[in-house]
Amino acid sequence: MARTGITQRIGFDSVEPDTTKRLRPDAARRRFLLVVVIAVLALPLARPIIGSYNYVLQLGLITLMWIAITSSWNIIGGFAGYISLGHNVFFGIGGYASGMALAYWKWNPFMTAVIAGIIAVLVGLVFGLITLRARGPAFIISTIALLLLVGLWFDNWETAGGGSGLSLPLPQLSVQWLKVPFYYAMAILAIGSVYLSYRVAHSKFGLGLRALSQDETKAEVAGINTRWYKVIAFAMSGLFIGMAGAIFAYSLSYLRPTTFFEIGLAAQMVLMAIIGGRGTVAGPVIGAVLINAINEFSVVQFGATALNIVVTGGILLVALLFFPLGIVGSLREAGRLPAVLDWD
Amino acid sequence: MSDFLQVLVLGLLLGGVYALMASGLTLLFGVMRIVNLAHAAFIIGAAYIAFFAFDKAGIDPLLSIAITMPVMFAIGVGVYLALFPRIEGSPRFGEMTVLMTFGLALIIEGLLTFFFTGIFRSTRPGYATQSVFIGDLFIPKGQLLALVVSVVLLLVLWAYLTFSRIGTAVRATMQNRSAAQIVGVNVRRISALSFGLGMALAGASGSMLSYLFPFFPSRHWQWVALLLSLIVLGGLGSLKGAVIGAVILSVAAAFVTDQFGPTWSPITFYLALFLIIMVRPQGLFGKAVRI
Repeated sequence: MARTGITQRIGFDSVEPDTTKRLRPDAARRRFLLVVVIAVLALPLARPIIGSYNYVLQLGLITLMWIAITSSWNIIGGFAGYISLGHNVFFGIGGYASGMALAYWKWNPFMTAVIAGIIAVLVGLVFGLITLRARGPAFIISTIALLLLVGLWFDNWETAGGGSGLSLPLPQLSVQWLKVPFYYAMAILAIGSVYLSYRVAHSKFGLGLRALSQDETKAEVAGINTRWYKVIAFAMSGLFIGMAGAIFAYSLSYLRPTTFFEIGLAAQMVLMAIIGGRGTVAGPVIGAVLINAINEFSVVQFGATALNIVVTGGILLVALLFFPLGIVGSLREAGRLPAVLDWD
Repeated sequence: MSDFLQVLVLGLLLGGVYALMASGLTLLFGVMRIVNLAHAAFIIGAAYIAFFAFDKAGIDPLLSIAITMPVMFAIGVGVYLALFPRIEGSPRFGEMTVLMTFGLALIIEGLLTFFFTGIFRSTRPGYATQSVFIGDLFIPKGQLLALVVSVVLLLVLWAYLTFSRIGTAVRATMQNRSAAQIVGVNVRRISALSFGLGMALAGASGSMLSYLFPFFPSRHWQWVALLLSLIVLGGLGSLKGAVIGAVILSVAAAFVTDQFGPTWSPITFYLALFLIIMVRPQGLFGKAVRI
């Protein structure tokens, strides 16, 4: 009788109505994502109907940048469960690589951003090989030490402008179009990094990362090369963060250690990922959009004061205490995650 | 030779204060396995109390220890009870404490910046700029006083932990939490008390920091990394280790400053922290307790 049970089950899996049932949310999700991507790409075309065009584009490009950064952070911090508080090292290295190439050799950062990303990956490979020997709190502390070390280095590196920084030329564009190339660059990075995150989540590699985030010893026993998995995840997460740093530095037209190696940036990454849902594909995106909205709201309401840092810390604490799974994780646990947001 | 001695003395002087600053941090880890990233933020907060006590009421920073210690003790007990009992027994307790105290540090930094702005502050008691000479050796009077006070406080702490009944309970909790509970130690209360004690030590450190090192709110990140390097070197949770780590790294930093200039002196601590975690995470004297 067991045989019929098995055949029945196999047969049931390939029955027609069931597959269509599973395809439907898939199609809805695909349509939803397509609409979002088109809306993001079309926003700069809506110039005539947007009141404060540059403001909206700036807001958009910063949000897109954080989507790219947080999605990347999530590969090591979420999937692999190794929380890094020093990930803006990649951001700074990318920014400085492209920025210095612009300042000294007049190379266009839109071109060199890719190189900056690759440099960030290489640096991540080296750092990863060293720091990923530690785990848990020790790893977190080592990433802070790393951030402070690199920050101190750039503070004292005269060729890079030292502590007072290096100013960069802006692109030769009239003011009303100035934001557009930056916006599109960040949009490409955001889409690229979410796609990367999706591919990782759906690969054997991603499965390995999740396994080792649960129990590293068991994962190792199951035949996963945990050391290399972690190192590769760490390095991979540097790619889009480095590229975002390059574009961001150009848009600021200024390189300064305090803008890139501030631990507050790492705090933002962690906060966005945790609020949205660590270890999910959609989580960092939702977290980035939400936190940017909150930041913008509090800046508009209270002005750019130190209270923003209080809000950041406060939200982080509340999230950790009351819903550590984040929005996507909590909704999924309750079985209420809308299909259009289920990207895993 | 006298140069060498001079640098050594300057390093040793600061070592005492560093040890006091780190003692609270190592106590928290020892008793509760909490890695308190907000420790230096609390120290800076206490330094602001000392600053305003000095500025508004003319209270000497060393005397303001009498204010900062009890205030910070109360804050510590409150913070502990509000945050940590909730996450006790969580499978990733260590990581959670790091992230939560990270959030706490941001809140403190933001509040301090909001109320007191980001400008440099320091108290200026008379002895902060005076110095004494022993032979050729130049000894800043402020640092000497700070060393004396630190050593006294550390000795009192040591005696309290060694000889008092509660101190014994604290040490028992450090050694084995559940065993302590079995023999009748109220672990929750001991934890709250230890957290308060650690914060009180942060308070005393803040009073001294207020005249030894100019400060502003976001300075605390550098300080917490420095303090972590001391206790990681000495072995987390060990008071003796914190003192020895502080002395070693403080002297090392004094020599780095002498050779490469003051801008590079923090690199001693960051590099030490980084390397020790990688090479010998249990520190010099620690048992194989990994954080």
